[in-house]
Amino acid sequence: MKNIYRPIEAIVEDIIVETPTIKTFVLRPKEDFSFNTGQFIELTLPGIGEAPFTPSSDPNIKDKIGVTIMNVGRVTSLLHSVSKDTPVGIRGPYGKGYPLEKFEGKDILIVGGGVGLAPLRSLILMLFSQIDRYNKIVLRYGARTSQDMVYKNSIPEWAKKKKVDIVTTVDVGDSIWKGNVGLVTTILKDLPIDLNKVISVVCGPPIMMKFVTLKLLDLAFKPKDIYLSMEKNMSCGLGKCGHCRIGRFYACKDGPVFTYEQLKDIHDIWD
Amino acid sequence: MYNIYYIERASLDTLYNRLKENYKVFSPVVKESDTKKIDYHYQNLAEGQPLVYNTYRTVEPLKTFFTYPYEKVTDYFTPQKNIIDVIDKTIIFGVKSCDISGHKVQDFVFLEGVEADVLYRLRRENIIFISSDCTDFKEVCHCLAWDILPHPTEGFDLNLSPLNDGYLVEVGSQKGEELIQQHQEYFVPAKGVQISARKNKRENFMERLKRHILPQNLVSKDIVQRLVKEGYNLDTWQQFMLSCVECGGCNLICDTCHCFLLADKKDGSKNAKVRMWDSCQYANFAKVAGGANPLKRRTQRLRNRFMKKFDFFVDNLGFPACCGCGRCIEVCPGKIDIREVLKDLAKKPKP
Repeated sequence: MKNIYRPIEAIVEDIIVETPTIKTFVLRPKEDFSFNTGQFIELTLPGIGEAPFTPSSDPNIKDKIGVTIMNVGRVTSLLHSVSKDTPVGIRGPYGKGYPLEKFEGKDILIVGGGVGLAPLRSLILMLFSQIDRYNKIVLRYGARTSQDMVYKNSIPEWAKKKKVDIVTTVDVGDSIWKGNVGLVTTILKDLPIDLNKVISVVCGPPIMMKFVTLKLLDLAFKPKDIYLSMEKNMSCGLGKCGHCRIGRFYACKDGPVFTYEQLKDIHDIWD
Repeated sequence: MYNIYYIERASLDTLYNRLKENYKVFSPVVKESDTKKIDYHYQNLAEGQPLVYNTYRTVEPLKTFFTYPYEKVTDYFTPQKNIIDVIDKTIIFGVKSCDISGHKVQDFVFLEGVEADVLYRLRRENIIFISSDCTDFKEVCHCLAWDILPHPTEGFDLNLSPLNDGYLVEVGSQKGEELIQQHQEYFVPAKGVQISARKNKRENFMERLKRHILPQNLVSKDIVQRLVKEGYNLDTWQQFMLSCVECGGCNLICDTCHCFLLADKKDGSKNAKVRMWDSCQYANFAKVAGGANPLKRRTQRLRNRFMKKFDFFVDNLGFPACCGCGRCIEVCPGKIDIREVLKDLAKKPKP
């Protein structure tokens, strides 16, 4: 019988500095481990603590997992101080992930905010690997400043692919940044999408997701076609510890990806 | 349909002590309390003492035998070794109907869903409930408000009903029947007249209990979900929160509350994961890295406790996660009474 709390060992194989506060850790699990895009894992520093992250890597790659982590709390700050070859623990994968079968034949609008692009990167790479199934991928990404943008080197590469349309923006401009300045909602106009066959996937800070959702509704997106990442205080990952309740759901087992249709009648979802 | 037997009082005492040879046996002991009534606590008594019949529930919730306030749940990176090979075969005497009802919530959380909790399942398999009818009640008892009877009708292995100089013993499971078969010298099949006498005793007690509970005009099972949903923005939460000291007692002592904190611990040279009972009344319960906290205010947390019990569980399990045991009322230093909170929601006009 499987002990649901037991982590498997993984070795930190590489560390990529994305921004001054964000690093991507490439982990090599010592046991078989795979995930579907949008599912999350619990990553542990043994003896120190555990936190939930949605992998940012291509789920087709089976021997390694990339996890992009912002230094914001106790566990993440300690994770930022680990070096290569450190053993860490992983549990999971948990949650439902993105229902890719519902995306087929559609225009897929992906809206990311800050480090919220991490789970979306995994989705984007998955979509690229079977691009024939989708009509178009439209990415709109905003970060606080140009320094806070993740995957700076990948984004121009993605933009060169066929069926892909990418626009980025920063909230606050600076001397290096030559692109758009303004919140991500300001680049959600004149979208090259067909409203009759579009779905949208949004991930970012709650306040960003709130205003993007309102904007999309305003653009006549249907609540069932807006996918949101509700990343709460997911701890056990299996709907037992009780910390990540959203109305009648748990983010860990019923999400972390929900449609706005599922959430729209629940109080205080953006808190 | 399982059988019903009869056992003499003296035989039950003998059996109770004999069971200790093969089982860890927990049973109620009396402790004077500062309330008007005595309290019962579970204890693993040494051999040679008589069994105490608790007339109402114990202070401790039944969950305390299945998840512990603090326990190690796994080592790190060791082979799939069981930290659980040592589960004592256990018998618990004195379980009450409310406990059994509340325990359905624990079973749902830990046995059902995506994956079962192995530790919980092994304990569940190794623990025998010998429940018993309530013959008295505490002021806080309000099982009937939730349509829970003061005698168990299911979910037990054996159930005792006091009758004259002995007990009727109803079998509720295969495990219970086996226990009887292993000790059949103590039991005789119950007679029809004894079963009728049990029915009368139960009805008489129910009348007493009704006289206590009905005049309180408590909120009932079928309207409670609507009440908490419609009352989401009422000032009830704010008003009752004022005396909350965030001790978490209401959650920790609750038969149905199951939340826990999973944490890491340095265990000498080894590391381990530990699990601790948690409370949604604690300020950091829902806090995430970076500081966002959807349950920042005490008002939100008090409301959360009610939304979880009366909205979430009605949606997910089909009935509210309250068994009317009243433990949360007794334990609360702020005198927050779950019955009064619900009544307040009921009496206020909804927006």
